[in-house]
Amino acid sequence: MSTGDALDIVLFTLRIAALGTALLLVPGVAVAYGLSRYRGPGMGAIETLLSLPLVLPPTAVGLALLELLARNGAFGGWLVAHGVDVLFTWKAVLLATMVMSFPLLVRSARTAFEEVDPRLVGIARTLGCRPLAAFLRVSLPLAWRGILAGTVLAFARALGEFGATVMVAGNIPGRTQTLALAIVQETQVGRDDSARMLAAVTVVLAFVTLWTAELVTRRHARRDAR
Amino acid sequence: MRRFLLVLLITLSLVGRAAADDLLVFAAASLTDAMTELGKTWAAQSPTKVAFSFGSSNDLARQTRAGAPADVFFSADVEQVAALERDGLIDPATRRDLLSNLLVVVVPIDSKATITSAADLAGVERLSLGNPDGVPAGRYARAWLQSQGVWDRIAPHVVPAVDVRAALAAVASGNVEAGIVYKTDAAISPKVRVAFEVPRAQGPAIVYALAPLKASKNPEAAAFARFLAGPTATPVYERLGFVVLPVR
Repeated sequence: MSTGDALDIVLFTLRIAALGTALLLVPGVAVAYGLSRYRGPGMGAIETLLSLPLVLPPTAVGLALLELLARNGAFGGWLVAHGVDVLFTWKAVLLATMVMSFPLLVRSARTAFEEVDPRLVGIARTLGCRPLAAFLRVSLPLAWRGILAGTVLAFARALGEFGATVMVAGNIPGRTQTLALAIVQETQVGRDDSARMLAAVTVVLAFVTLWTAELVTRRHARRDAR
Repeated sequence: MRRFLLVLLITLSLVGRAAADDLLVFAAASLTDAMTELGKTWAAQSPTKVAFSFGSSNDLARQTRAGAPADVFFSADVEQVAALERDGLIDPATRRDLLSNLLVVVVPIDSKATITSAADLAGVERLSLGNPDGVPAGRYARAWLQSQGVWDRIAPHVVPAVDVRAALAAVASGNVEAGIVYKTDAAISPKVRVAFEVPRAQGPAIVYALAPLKASKNPEAAAFARFLAGPTATPVYERLGFVVLPVR
């Protein structure tokens, strides 16, 4: 594998992970906030359902997506009829990584929202804040560290997703091949050096991602303490 | 927020990779070297770029059926192509049965094993094949072992691989004692030795079939399929050890 090919794979993987995380941010935070406030019936069921991708084999999630998007299925057929091809394109990679990352963001953000003292929100409301303003000015700033942690986890998960991706996007070089997929392919065909090189790249990327998040939260923790 | 949306849009625009007007060819893993070389030859004479996805023919056929955006399909067996014809994805008139190959038993280069018949494989602890339930190379290998009456004894020792090159890699790494691959695969790996070549009369008929896909929107798909079956390609296949079949 040439350096150009490897770079192409790395950039594609980063773009997919970045775009997926960005698209998840607003709905993820919204769902997390909803879960942290909702106390009605079915709470446990909803929560469990949303967390399923964390514990299911990624291939099972991939299979479900594959069935959903299949051209002869209702939804997939509708998409194709409207000129949107998802399966075995980069869009399938994006979708698979997003589904697998979603619960990580939600769980982390939800915990952060639950730790916000409800009295503070109550005070904001008595001072004339509308619910949305109270959310934006009180809950969100207080929970942001947990949201950031969840975002980083979601991004890191997207960088390494394999099982669901391979089911819906295949492993097509130059089209749908991410780092995780390329490592498998290179190993299977016996190009161990390429596989090792790509694996080393994933270590560096994951390290930089987690470390950056760590630095950012720590710097802000110091500022908050002052 | 506006800046966020801008970044999002830029990212979105960058995600698409190979231009959609590139040809995408789904080809059997055993064709990797031939296709890579012919792809370069084609690129030198045509403005349309070509990209390949290599894998087991059955999996590539499955992906095609699910709507993968392939333009040309080059299978290591005729069954996959026939199935796609039945599904209306390939026009039988455009299909070409192009190549043949032989099966060989390979062992790691430093192995002392001697194999003179199918029966000798019964003593092998781990034998790697393309998955005999789907991968053409594995199905051919199973057909040969069945015809020799030793499959039942060998089956428990089979390590199924996702495609024939994965089976080859398992032998090359020394992680299995032997494998059954195509003669053309064995020839490209310096880490394996051919211990036994299955005589053409003893093994199943191996036929590679090629066809453009009907769903392809690329006007070059048929031209590229013709190129792969044409006089430029023939010497490349022959040099790599394939047998080019006469036009029926």
